Amino acid sequence: MTGREQFVLRTVEERGVRFIRLWFVDVLGLLKSISIPVSELESALVDGVGLDGSSLEGAARLREHDVIAYPDPRTFQVLPWKPDSIVARMFCDVREPDDGPFGGDSRATLRRVLEQAAGLGYTMQVGCEVEFFIFGPLGSNGAAPTTLDDGAYFDLTPLDVGSDFRRRTIEYLEQMGIPVKASHHEVAPSQHEIQLAHTDALSMADAVTTFRIAVKEAAHELGAYATFMPKPLAAHPGSGMHLHISLFEGDRNAFHTDGTEPLSPTGRAFLAGVLAHARELTAVTNQWINSYRRLATGFEAPAFVSWTRRGGAALVRVPSRRPGRAAGARFELRSPDPSCNTYMVLALILAAGLRGIERGYELQAESIDDQPNGAPRLPLDLREATDLFDDSELARETLGDRLCDVFVANKRRELDDERRTVTEFDRIRYLRLL
Amino acid sequence: MTDAWIYGSHGSERTSRLLAELGFSPHRVAANGTLRPPDGGSRAPALAVILADGLEQPSCSELCARLAADDDLGEVPVIVALASGGLAEGVGITEGHELLVEPFSADELQARIARARRAVNGIDHEDVVRVGSLEMNLATYQVAIEGRPVDFTYMEYELLKFLVTHPRRVFSREALLSRVWGYDYYGGARTVDVHVRRVRAKLGSEHAARIKTVRSVGYRWEGT
Repeated sequence: MTGREQFVLRTVEERGVRFIRLWFVDVLGLLKSISIPVSELESALVDGVGLDGSSLEGAARLREHDVIAYPDPRTFQVLPWKPDSIVARMFCDVREPDDGPFGGDSRATLRRVLEQAAGLGYTMQVGCEVEFFIFGPLGSNGAAPTTLDDGAYFDLTPLDVGSDFRRRTIEYLEQMGIPVKASHHEVAPSQHEIQLAHTDALSMADAVTTFRIAVKEAAHELGAYATFMPKPLAAHPGSGMHLHISLFEGDRNAFHTDGTEPLSPTGRAFLAGVLAHARELTAVTNQWINSYRRLATGFEAPAFVSWTRRGGAALVRVPSRRPGRAAGARFELRSPDPSCNTYMVLALILAAGLRGIERGYELQAESIDDQPNGAPRLPLDLREATDLFDDSELARETLGDRLCDVFVANKRRELDDERRTVTEFDRIRYLRLL
Repeated sequence: MTDAWIYGSHGSERTSRLLAELGFSPHRVAANGTLRPPDGGSRAPALAVILADGLEQPSCSELCARLAADDDLGEVPVIVALASGGLAEGVGITEGHELLVEPFSADELQARIARARRAVNGIDHEDVVRVGSLEMNLATYQVAIEGRPVDFTYMEYELLKFLVTHPRRVFSREALLSRVWGYDYYGGARTVDVHVRRVRAKLGSEHAARIKTVRSVGYRWEGT
């Protein structure tokens, strides 16, 4: 037993924890959990817990496949939102019974890519701005949601459900060790944004996963419903998840430069790598059919593979340098939405950036005044994005065939389901006309 | 974590036995000028005992000075044990954090250890540190503010414990990395900043400011 494991066992005893939830995510980044009683904890820490690996394969489950989930004691945390019965969580590494890595575990995949980067002397830091909506109680499945306020960008709404909710959410997040930099009301009614302070990529992916459930719990306690659906309201902007990316060599920000360029040569090559592969990675940054309805309407949602220092519509914004703030050099990727699998997204961004550095990619010219200037456009829908992803050699090399195949199978199934669905659009457009 | 290192040979067997009774695992350091025992592992011990009687090379004061100057051992509580005749000679009486006169009992040794640890770390022998309404129980890993438990992860807890038990001293990020994380990390000194931010968030408004950022140096715990 190491100190970490003793810490977990002792804390469980001292705090009267009743159950421990072992968390993992499926290929789509959706949180899965297996609950064990305290009596099973010690053996779970040593021997892991067996489960059916097809539970990580989303809707495209094929057949049962035994895997072992090993809880990571570093991620042990008592959950703040179950005060009457104390429950804690740990994230798991999922492995094959012979102790080899399980190819369907996207969290382990991110960890592997981070270790490769560490071998080159690099660590990636990620900050995150998450947007989401909070609605009144949902009606029947498919009914339009009800907004809770008419607030707008940075409005300080009176003490209504929205601000109560943001305060409670932030308390939960801080109790979970997820520091919040800022929060504000977003552009659309009932829409909020919370900014998470930068941290290493694995901690950030864990934080986003935790964030989504913390937000949903806080909303639920107030009789509301929080959603990370990218585009829930047709008439209003959707929810994005802007990622602020920087790369460190030891303690030095490898993106920082004292020159006149906004990024160092390393930073420019890294960004060039991300842009070069942006189209084939869009299926992961924007993984739902609904994601493309957000991208289609513009309004800070990018349509072209471009970068800028000032414009509002480019895929990447490079913030102006601030003298004496070398650690702050970064770029902001604006395509992802908060319903993505953050583990896969960060693994692929890092892999694309490192490829840019390794192969010396040249950064394209900056886009001025939101003009694409011949920059390629992002995929228009999930079908195009999935086809590009399916052919991506970078994705296969980074994620492995298993994760790629299962992901693509999930997306094809989703597309098939939609293809067979008669929607509100069909009825409005055709019922009377034809 | 509860290693005790013994310097000098006079009465060392009896001292080893008493320390073992108190729950320490004693390791003797060879009298060849080294600071570390051959079997002591790489971590700093919880305690150093210098049996000053008959100690010549290095002398008691030289040993104390070298311990204090060592990067890893500078914070180890040091007890100097003298033979009763040694008091009159005055050698070593102002060295270390606490003084013992032979022969001594296990109870007296325990009391002296508690005083030495308190002198260095401000911790009493029950391992409960209180700073205002913040209470940290080092034996059970539990932290409470105004009696309400605050739940830390392991590394957050270890960082807070290190800072709280080394009050008023500034530690660089590198020093915190090597002393709190050991070598089981990657991510550089920013790991420290990120954890400090998390610990502050959990401590809440009353205590967060006790972790002072010392600009371009590191961090310092204020309190106790």
